[in-house]
Amino acid sequence: MDKEGTPPIPKRTTRSSSSITPSKNAAKPPKTSDPYPPSTLNDLIFGQPISLDSLLSNFPGRRIQILELLRLLGPPNSPLLPLFIYGGSSTGKTSIVLQIFRHLNRPFVYSSCRTCYNPRILFESTLNQLLLHRRKVVNGYSSAKRCERPADFVNYLREALNDVLTNLKGHLRKSSSEKLEERGNGRMIYLIFDNVELVREWDKSSGITHLLFELYDILKMPEVGLIFISSTSPDTYYSSAGVVEPIPVLFPDYTEDVLCQIFMRNQANPKLYSSFLDVILRPFCRITRRVDELSTAFSPLFKKYCEPLSDLGVVPSEDMKRRLFCHLQPHIAASLNEIFKFESQPSLEAEANKEKFTRKCNMRKVEGGEAFDEMDFHISTSAKYLLISAFLASRNPATLDASLFDSTGGSDNRKRRRKSSGKSIEQKESAEQELLMKGPGSFPLERLLAIFQCITSVAEGSLEEDQQEDGGLGAEGGDIGLMSDVLLQLSTLCNANFISKGGSCPLEGSTRYRSTVGEEMALKNSIWCLRSLMAKPSFSIVHSYLTGTLQKLISRFENDCHILGNWLTESFDCYVIVQI
Amino acid sequence: MEGENQAEKALILIRSRICNPSYIFTPFSDSPESNYSKLKFIISNSVTEACNNSILLLGPRGCGKIAVLNLVLRDLLAEHPDMVSVIRLNGLLHSDDNCALKEIARQLCVEHQLLFSKMASFDDNSQFMISMLRECGLAHKTIIFVLDEFDLFAQGKQRLLYSLLDAMQSITSQAVVIGVSCRLDADQLLEKRVRSRFSHRKLLFLPPSKEELQRLLEHILSLPIDSSFSHDYAMEFNAKLHKIVGDCRFTEIVDTLSGSDSTVNHLLKFLFRAVCCMDLDFGFLTLENFKTAILSIQRQPKLECLQDCSVLELYILVCMKRLEDKEQNSYNFNSVMKEYKGIHDSYQTSDYYARNVCLRAFEHLLQRELICFTDNRGQSQSVEFRPVKLLISSHELYPGLKSNRSCPLAY
Repeated sequence: MDKEGTPPIPKRTTRSSSSITPSKNAAKPPKTSDPYPPSTLNDLIFGQPISLDSLLSNFPGRRIQILELLRLLGPPNSPLLPLFIYGGSSTGKTSIVLQIFRHLNRPFVYSSCRTCYNPRILFESTLNQLLLHRRKVVNGYSSAKRCERPADFVNYLREALNDVLTNLKGHLRKSSSEKLEERGNGRMIYLIFDNVELVREWDKSSGITHLLFELYDILKMPEVGLIFISSTSPDTYYSSAGVVEPIPVLFPDYTEDVLCQIFMRNQANPKLYSSFLDVILRPFCRITRRVDELSTAFSPLFKKYCEPLSDLGVVPSEDMKRRLFCHLQPHIAASLNEIFKFESQPSLEAEANKEKFTRKCNMRKVEGGEAFDEMDFHISTSAKYLLISAFLASRNPATLDASLFDSTGGSDNRKRRRKSSGKSIEQKESAEQELLMKGPGSFPLERLLAIFQCITSVAEGSLEEDQQEDGGLGAEGGDIGLMSDVLLQLSTLCNANFISKGGSCPLEGSTRYRSTVGEEMALKNSIWCLRSLMAKPSFSIVHSYLTGTLQKLISRFENDCHILGNWLTESFDCYVIVQI
Repeated sequence: MEGENQAEKALILIRSRICNPSYIFTPFSDSPESNYSKLKFIISNSVTEACNNSILLLGPRGCGKIAVLNLVLRDLLAEHPDMVSVIRLNGLLHSDDNCALKEIARQLCVEHQLLFSKMASFDDNSQFMISMLRECGLAHKTIIFVLDEFDLFAQGKQRLLYSLLDAMQSITSQAVVIGVSCRLDADQLLEKRVRSRFSHRKLLFLPPSKEELQRLLEHILSLPIDSSFSHDYAMEFNAKLHKIVGDCRFTEIVDTLSGSDSTVNHLLKFLFRAVCCMDLDFGFLTLENFKTAILSIQRQPKLECLQDCSVLELYILVCMKRLEDKEQNSYNFNSVMKEYKGIHDSYQTSDYYARNVCLRAFEHLLQRELICFTDNRGQSQSVEFRPVKLLISSHELYPGLKSNRSCPLAY
C-alpha cells in the first residue's frame, strides 16, 4: 500500500530489478510526490515502452519464459484465460511481468498480497487504482470505496472495470485519428495479483483464494485478463471443492551459466569480475542459486578480491589471476559459512518479516567491523542479565535451580549430582536428545525473576543484600541499581522476540515465557556477563555455573568459534587470578 | 503482410471463442436429449404456467452447468420479455444469509428501478423480498434465483434457503430456484425443513464423450467461410485443421488429455495454449502446436521443484528421507542436522556447511513447500525445534535427484 498517496505505478521496482539493473530505473517518468497531477488513464500504464530486444537483454536466461508469456498474452484485444506464473523467489517473476506490460504498453492493475496484507486492503487498493483514486491529505488518506466483503468487492470491481473499459474505448476512438500508440494499447485491462501464496494464510476456509481463482468466471468479462504470481506451484493450493486451475507458466531457478551472465551485467571491469566469478560462483551455487542472496555475499568478497590491486581497471593476466586467487582462497570457506550471517541472529521471525530483516542485517553488515566477541547491538545491562537468566531458565529443569543458586549449600549439592549423573551416560544422552527435539522449555515469570535476582545480587557484590534478597521473589528489589524496571525490560525483550510469550498454564493461570535466544548468542551474552562479573571480586556459585555453561556451549561450537575459544581461555586465566 | 494480418485476426477470433462459454456450448443445445432442452422445458413450463419450481444442476467443475443455464436464460428472456427476471447469487460471495438477502434486494431494486437502501436490516430485506415475490406473482412475472456454489449456501442455519423456499409455498408467488453445485450430494446437505420444501429435480452434467469432444474441437477451431476472412485463407486453414484432426497422432494427444481430465474446461485450456503457440508468419495451426501444448499442460510440479533445489537443499531432503526410513516418527531441524553430520562423517563429502547456512537452506525448503511443519501449534517455538515432515514421497525424490544436474552422483 502506498502510504504517500502517490500512484504506485511510477515507483514500481522489485527487489531484483532495483538491485541488479539500476540503469533501467532511469527511464522512468521523473514525476512523483508533491504536486499531484490529475489522475488519468495513463497511470495504469507503466511508462515509456521498451523494445522487445532490450526486454530480452534485461533478463538473461529468461528468453523462453518471456516469449511464452508474450504469446499467451497475444495480440492486442485478444481475450485471455487466467494465467498462473510460479517459480522460486528471486527468479524475476514480478519484474518480468511488469516489464512485459511496459513493452506491450497495455493498462494493468498490480496489487501484491504481501503489501496488501488482508482482504480489505487488497480489495481497496485494487479499486483505488482502477478508479484512479489517490489517497492524500485532502481525502484524509481514505480509499475510494470502503469494502470488506467479497460480495461488495465484486460489485464495485464490475462497476469500476466497466468505467475503465468504456473510457479506454473512448480514448481509442479519439486517438485513432492522431497517434495510435499514444494511449495504452488495446481495449483489454489486466489485473495482476502478486504473492498469491500468502492469501492461503489469511483465512482458514480458503474463501479468498477460491474467490481469486474463480474471479474470471464470476466477472464474465472477456476484456479482463487475470494474472496470478506465486512462489509455490499450483498443486499447493488445495481446496476441498476443487478449483478451475489457471494456465500455469513456470519460472525455473537460474542455472549457473545464467547467474554468471546476470552478475556480469553493469560491471565496471568485466574481465576482472569474470575471473572473480570463475573462482567463486561454483562453490556458492552448491548452497543457493538465489540472486538476492548471492549478490549480498559477493559484494564484500569482491572487495577483498580487489584488495591487492592498485588499479581496478586492469585486465588480469593468468599470473595475476592466480595471485588474486591465492589471496582470496582463505576467505572463501569462511564466507561460505557466513553467507547468511544474519541468520545466526536469534530472532527467528515469521517468514513475512524475513525480507525486512534481511535488509536490516545487510545494512549492518555493510557497516561491518564489529568485534566478534561483542554482541552486534546494544541493550541495557539489566536486559543482558535478564536475557541470560531467561536462557538458564529455559534450558534447565526447574528442579536444578535450588542446587545451582542456593548460596548456602550449593556446591556440595552440585558435586553430589555430578556423581550420580556420571553413572548413567545413556540417560544424559536421551535427555540431550529430548532437548534437541523439544527445544527450550517455558517458565513462569517468578522463576525468571528469582534467577535474575540471584545473578544481579552477585553482580552487585554486597553480601548483606545477598542475604536479604536470597529466596525473595519479585521485582521489589528497587534498591539494586540494575533493576530500574525489570518488567519493562522484559516486555522490551518480548517485543524484540528474544523472549517469547507462550500460552498461559492451565493450572496456574499465569503467562509462561520461553527464551528463543540461540546458543551462540547466549554464549556471547554470557561472556559479557562473565567479564563484568569478574571485574568485581566476588565468588559465587553463579560464576562457576556460568563458566560451566560456557564450556558446554563451547564444546558444541568447537568448529565455528575458535576465536571465541581463545578469548575464553584467556578470560579463564583471568578468572583464576581473581579467585586466587 | 496480408497473410499475417489474416492470421492475427484468426487468432483473436479463436481466442475469443475459447473465452466465451456460450459459444462453446451452443452445439450441444440442439438435440432433444441434451441438458439444454430439458432445462429449458422445465423453466419455460414454470414461466408459462405460473408455478413455482426448484432444480439442482449437478456435475463436476468445468462441464458447463452455468454456461448452459445462461444459454437457456438468454433464450427465455428473448422469448418472454418482461415475464422473467433473474437474480444471481454465488455461494463464494453470499454464503452469509445477511449478505445474500441484501444482494437479492439490491438486484431486485436494480431490475425494477427502485431505490435501494444500504442500511436496510435483514428483516427489512426479507420483508421486501417476500412482498416483491407477491407483486411479481400478481403481475405474472417469474423471478428466477440462480444459486451458484449451492453447497456453500447449505452451510450454517440455511435461513436464506428456508425463507426462499418457504415463500414459494404460497400460490401467489411465482419463482424458480436453480441451485448449481459440483457436489453430487448437495441435496443431502439440506436440513429437513428445507429439504421437504425442495422439489428433488436434479440434472446431471457429465463430461463430453469422445465424439462430442471431436465435434467441439472443430466447432471451436474452424474458421467461418464468409466475408470476414479471405475465402482462400479460410479454406486452407480449415483443410489443414481437418488433416490434423484426422491424424492418429492427434487422436493420441486428445486421448492422453481426456485420460487425465475430460471436462470441457480442461480441453479449452489445452486449446488455448495450442492456439497461442500458432506461428503468425506461417498463419496456420500445426501438429507441433498441439504437441507443445500437451507438454506444458502435463506438469509434474514436485519434480520441477526438486530440479530447482541446490545441492545443500538436496542433502537436507535426503537426510529427512533417511530419518523416515529409520522410522523415526517425529523429527525436527536438529535431528536432521545430526543425520547430516552422520552422512558427512561416513562419506567425507565436500559439502559440509555450518549450521546457520543449513538452517537457511531448510527455510528455503519450507518456502518451496517440499517440507512443512507437522502441526500449526507452537508458533512461538523457533524453526529449529518444530517437528517437520516431507511432502514428497521416495518415488518422487529419486527421479528428482537423478534429473537434477548439479546433484552429486554418489547416491
